[in-house]
Parts: sequence; C-alpha cells; structure tokens
Amino acid sequence: MSATTTERGRQAGRGSARGATASSAPARGGATKPPRSRADTRAGYAFLSPWLLGFVLLTAGPMLMSLYLAFTDYNLFRAPEFVGIDNFTALFADPRFLKSAQVTAIYVLVGVPVKLAAALAVAALLNAKHRGQGAYRSMFYAPSLIGASVSVAIVWRAMFIDDGVADQIQQLFGFPAGGWVGDPSMTMPMMILLAVWQFGAPMVIFLAGLKQIPAELLEAAAVDGAGPIRRFLSVTLPMLSPVLFFNLLLETIGAFQVFSSAFIISGGTGGPADSTLFYTFYLYLKGFTEFRMGYASAMAWVLVLVVGIITAILFRTSRAWVHYTGDVR
Amino acid sequence: MVRTRTTIRTALRATAIAAAGALTLSACAGGSAASTEAAPVATDRDIELSLVWWGDDDRAARYEEAVTLFEEKYPNIDVQTQFQAWDDYWTARTTEAAGQTLPDVFQMDLAYIHQYASNNQLLDLSSQVGVNLETGDYDETLLGSGSVNGEQFGIPTSTNTLGMFYHQDLLDELGVEPPAEGLTWDEYDAWIREVSEAGADHDPQVYGGTDYTGALWIFIQWLVQQGKVPFAEDGSPAFDKADLVAWVERTQPLRDDGVFFPVERAKQVEPLTAMQVGQAATEITWDNMLAGYAAGAGTENLGLLPVPTGAEGSQQFWKPSMLLSSSANTQEPDAAAALIDFLVNDPEVGSIFGTSKGVPAVPAQKDAMELADGSIDEKIVTYEEEMADRVTAETPLPAEGYGVVEAEFKRLGEELAYGNVTPAEFADQWFQSAEANLGGE
Repeated sequence: MSATTTERGRQAGRGSARGATASSAPARGGATKPPRSRADTRAGYAFLSPWLLGFVLLTAGPMLMSLYLAFTDYNLFRAPEFVGIDNFTALFADPRFLKSAQVTAIYVLVGVPVKLAAALAVAALLNAKHRGQGAYRSMFYAPSLIGASVSVAIVWRAMFIDDGVADQIQQLFGFPAGGWVGDPSMTMPMMILLAVWQFGAPMVIFLAGLKQIPAELLEAAAVDGAGPIRRFLSVTLPMLSPVLFFNLLLETIGAFQVFSSAFIISGGTGGPADSTLFYTFYLYLKGFTEFRMGYASAMAWVLVLVVGIITAILFRTSRAWVHYTGDVR
Repeated sequence: MVRTRTTIRTALRATAIAAAGALTLSACAGGSAASTEAAPVATDRDIELSLVWWGDDDRAARYEEAVTLFEEKYPNIDVQTQFQAWDDYWTARTTEAAGQTLPDVFQMDLAYIHQYASNNQLLDLSSQVGVNLETGDYDETLLGSGSVNGEQFGIPTSTNTLGMFYHQDLLDELGVEPPAEGLTWDEYDAWIREVSEAGADHDPQVYGGTDYTGALWIFIQWLVQQGKVPFAEDGSPAFDKADLVAWVERTQPLRDDGVFFPVERAKQVEPLTAMQVGQAATEITWDNMLAGYAAGAGTENLGLLPVPTGAEGSQQFWKPSMLLSSSANTQEPDAAAALIDFLVNDPEVGSIFGTSKGVPAVPAQKDAMELADGSIDEKIVTYEEEMADRVTAETPLPAEGYGVVEAEFKRLGEELAYGNVTPAEFADQWFQSAEANLGGE
C-alpha cells in the first residue's frame, strides 16, 4: 500500500502548491487546513443533497424495504404477509432456483477467466511498438462500447441460428452443422463468447498496467538470460498483479449480474430448457411475471450475500498473490 | 469497495422497483373509491379518460381512429391512449394495481381477470348496464366469461375459438392432400407423420405439424371434448394427474420419432412459428391469428379447419379474445362505461378493427365489416359461423394464477421436447406449480 500512499501524498502536495500560487496564499509557510466554518459545512451538505436524497429514497430505502419483503409473501396486489424465512427455505427446494445458480456459477467461473486472458493477451499485443497502434487500440475497444446493447444481442442471436455465421464456419470445417440458439448445450458457450468479445474495458486497464512496468526490469531479466515466457511469468505478471486483481473483482461482480443479453437471446424465457436462466433473470421472472415479490427479494438478498462473500474471499486471498511496488516482504 | 456498493445497487434494481411499488401502495392504501350510482355520462364538464391496450402499431392505428370517433361523439371527453407489448403490458398493469392507479379503461385477458377481480382492482360494470353500457346484443355465455361471482368485471370485445391452420401452397409442393375435416386426434397424428415423411427431402425440411402438447389451451380443448371441466370453483385443477399424463404420453411416439417440427428449430425461428417460416404444414391455434400467420407465411392461401375431435365428442368453446375492464378506482365510471360501450357496440369501430381482435362479439359490429371474398377476415367469420353448432361447451373460465401455470405448461412442453422430463415428471411438476399458483391464497 505504501506506493499508493506516497503517490497520493505527492499529488496532494502538488495540488496545494498549485492552489497556493493561484489564490493569493491565505496562510504563509505551507499551513494546511483552513478552519472550516459551520456555513461551509451547511453548503457542503446542500451541494451533496441531490445525491443524498437519491441515495436515501432510491437506494437505501428500497433496499431496506426489499429486506423486509424478503420475509413476506407479497404479490403486489395484497398487503405483504410476514412468513418468516419461508422464502429462503423454499429457494433451496426450488429446482429452477438451483438451476439458475448453476448456470450463473458456470458463467462466472468460465467466462471471467477466459475474458481476462483474452483482455491480457490483446493488451500485450497492443503494448508492443507498431505503426498505427492507436488505431488498433480503438478497434479492439469498440465492441465494449456497443456490447451491452440490445442490438448486439439481437445480432448475436442471428449469428448463431441455423445457417448463421457460426453455422457456416462449422460447416466449412466439417463439424456437424446446426445453430447454437436452439441447442441447450451450446447456449452457454455462446453467452460466454459474447462476454469475452467485450474485453475492451479490462484490456484498457491491463494496457495501462503494462505501460507502468519499468523497461529496465525486463531488460535486466533479459540480460540474465530469461526468455519471453520467463520474463512474462516472473516480471510482467507480478508487476501487473494489482491491475489483475482489480479487473478480476470488477468482472466477477459484473458477471453475476448478466441479464439483458440472455433476456434478448432467449426471448424473455431463459430457454431453451432453462439453459440461459441466469440468476438475475430468474429473479426478474419471479418478481415481474409471477409477481412473487417476496420470493424475488429473498433471491436478491441471497445474491448480495454471495457476491459479498466472494468479494471478501478475493480480498483475503489477494494478500498472497497481489504485489504492490514498494512492498517489503 | 465503491464498486461493490454500485453492484449491490444494480443487483437490487428489480427489488428496488418492487419496494418503490410497495411504498406507493402504503401511501395510497384505501384510495378513494368512485361513486357507485351509475348516471348518464356528464356533458357539462371536461372529462379525461385513460385507455390502455396491448398490441402492435397496426392495432394502435386502429384504436386511434376509433378514439377520434368517440371524441367526436363526446366532445367534452379527452381520451389519453397508451399501449405496450403483451409482457410489458402486464408488468405495467401490475405495478399500477399496487399503486391503485390502473387506467380508466384497459384491455383485459381471461388469464388475468380473476386475479384482478378478486383483488378488488376492477369496477363492477353491472350497474352501468342499461345506463351507459348496452349488452343486449351479447351471447349470454360469452358475456358470462367477463363476470366473476356474479359481478361484471369485463366486457368481451370479440371472440375466437381454436382452429387448425394448414399451409395449402406447401402441401401442393409435397403433393399431399390437406387434412380431412373431422379427423380424430389419432388420425391427425398419423397425418402429421405422413407429411413429415413426404417432406423429409424437401429443402428446407417440412414437417406435418408442430408439437401441440405444451399448449395448455389445447389440452383444455381435449378435456372439454371428453366432457370434463378443467378448473373447479376454487380455481384448482378439476382433472387428474392421470389425464395430464395421458395427454403427454399420447404424443410421445411422435417426439421420439422426430415427426414434429423440432424444438431446436422452433426456438430459433421465435417469435415466428414453424408454419410462418414455411416449414410446418399445420398448426393448431386461435382462429384470429390467421391474419398474422398469413403475413408471416407471405401467402393468404392458408386453410382453416376445426380442431381434431375426441372419441367422445367434437365440441369446442368460445373464448373472448380480449375484454375491456375499468379500474375500481376510476373517477369517471360513467364515462369509462360509455367508452367501453362505444368500443364494443359502434358499427364503425367494428369495420375499423375487422377481425384483428377476433370476430366482433356484437352482431352490429360484425355486420359492419366489409368481407372481400377469400380474404382472411372472410375466412375467419365463415369459420366461426360454421363452428357455432359445435360450440356447445361453456367457456372454461381460467382460474386466478392461470397466466403463470400456462407459462409453466409451455416451459415443461419444451423440456419434454428436449427429452429432459418424462410425461410423469411433466405432470408432477405442473401440478406442483398449480398448487402454488392457482386460486390465489
């Protein structure tokens, strides 16, 4: 952590120095905090109020309400009826809930590593010195700008139906032909491909991380006789681990929430045969087509808990494999 | 950790909306009820009504035309319109119901009327009959489909009944005769098998029919032909698990032999159907869908036959293709009733809509349609006139929660087609869902 702290300290110093020259230096000798008046505090809260109001009314309030609803039977028509933990026990006896948890788990466990690997590989390529590298970077980032949109899901569906692009490529290589959209065993690869294809965001972050690695470290390793693979594993990866950790966290949490692409591709059913029934999707079906809001709220809180626990585990294990420059161990 | 907070927020968006709905509910609980006495609609003050329906652009254009006529007749009434596609429509209505803000007039479906009525969301239109609303021209059975426990919560606009469509052009290409009228279910299955064999080498491959097992309404039709009633008074299924197993098992050989249009393909051509993409020769569905099928198939050369018959009978039933209901909280019950009256009775409205919502329920509207020979409208009207003798069964009223168990029936039908469940598992799982969802509490 020391590296970031010093960095932040340095920036703060620079900031105040600039401030001092811009305004007519209120305090001499680099005195730091100006005394904060009550009026300032009030003004601060006034400026914060749009966000605070939004937070309380649109986020915290509804969250608390949903926590209450999770313990009720509520169909939007009748007043919620308190049922204790019935919703939670019902969840684990519901085969479709278990199926949705399984589908989501596979998506996270396979999709996230593959996406990160693709992002890192492309970032490494784009880090090399070539002509027109800027243009390549823009091109590789483009899918991420449009990837989450409804139109891409529709295009994706069109690519993977019978005689779609994917089918034609399969035929070219002599694989048994057929679209993926109607085949329950092929929809998951299709969904993962869609996710992987949008590797732009982690790629940009990886690229920034790669640029930060001092060239002299790699040169020194090369002089010591390390080949490219050795240099990557022993120098690049450890130096990149904070960025890797950040991306892993972001992508894992993001993958748990996949919804819209599955919604479009399966036509709002989670099919075929529940093979794209992602967790948030089943939550939506329970809440907004069956109108079992209590059950859906219980599902939402189980998801919050699970994502929270996984995030905590990632942070815990990160101590073992994430190296920050300047750490002394 | 900032990111985590964002995540929780996003993950909970759905529940947040739910909770927001709940807050509204508590805020508005016990909202003002409209006056109960029906009086002729006021003409001395400005009135604003909301009118909401599900459907596509085509239907919207027709509604706008009808509303313009209504506003000409009642210059002091301004009608605000809105429409959504089927799924979004019910999401929006349910949220409004929680907030006691349902529209003054809105389309209702048989699958949902029980749920809305028994939760006191709908206006009882009985007192409006004879004042602002005329129902004298209605068939009693049909009008009865809009009443729950003796109170009139919906007025049917039009009727439909199940029918079997066949694709004449496709059958000509294969050199197969269309199915004969009055086939039994078993004979129909044998015919499908024959056509699928004839169409095996066709490019693209053509099948005799689609797997109809997962359609709850067709199952109900099959039960009705055996003289059975699908739902009991309390909304629970009135048939046995054995009936359902028998229904699923009787088509199992066709699935095993790949005679039906394959589910893998069906999922891919959605939202079109096999017949609309010219790969199945027949399909059983509601007769008013014929126009949509013709548009999808790109030919009007489609035939319409009665559904196959059972060993014990060939009776069919009318289903209101949709109803019009009014919110229990409407401030303008008289004007709302007048709008419903205008939409179901006015002859000009009848000619505006044609059979796009089904055959108009009221003769004055039906007679106002201009039927060109051989047109889709004409085919549907002729079919329903011929069917009148066979429609001897009362409309089987779906129970509260019908929409959910119907979707479950369809989902299990797909699982069945993929070979993931056996007929017995199909029946077990559906009955579980029925127990949890049918008949409210």
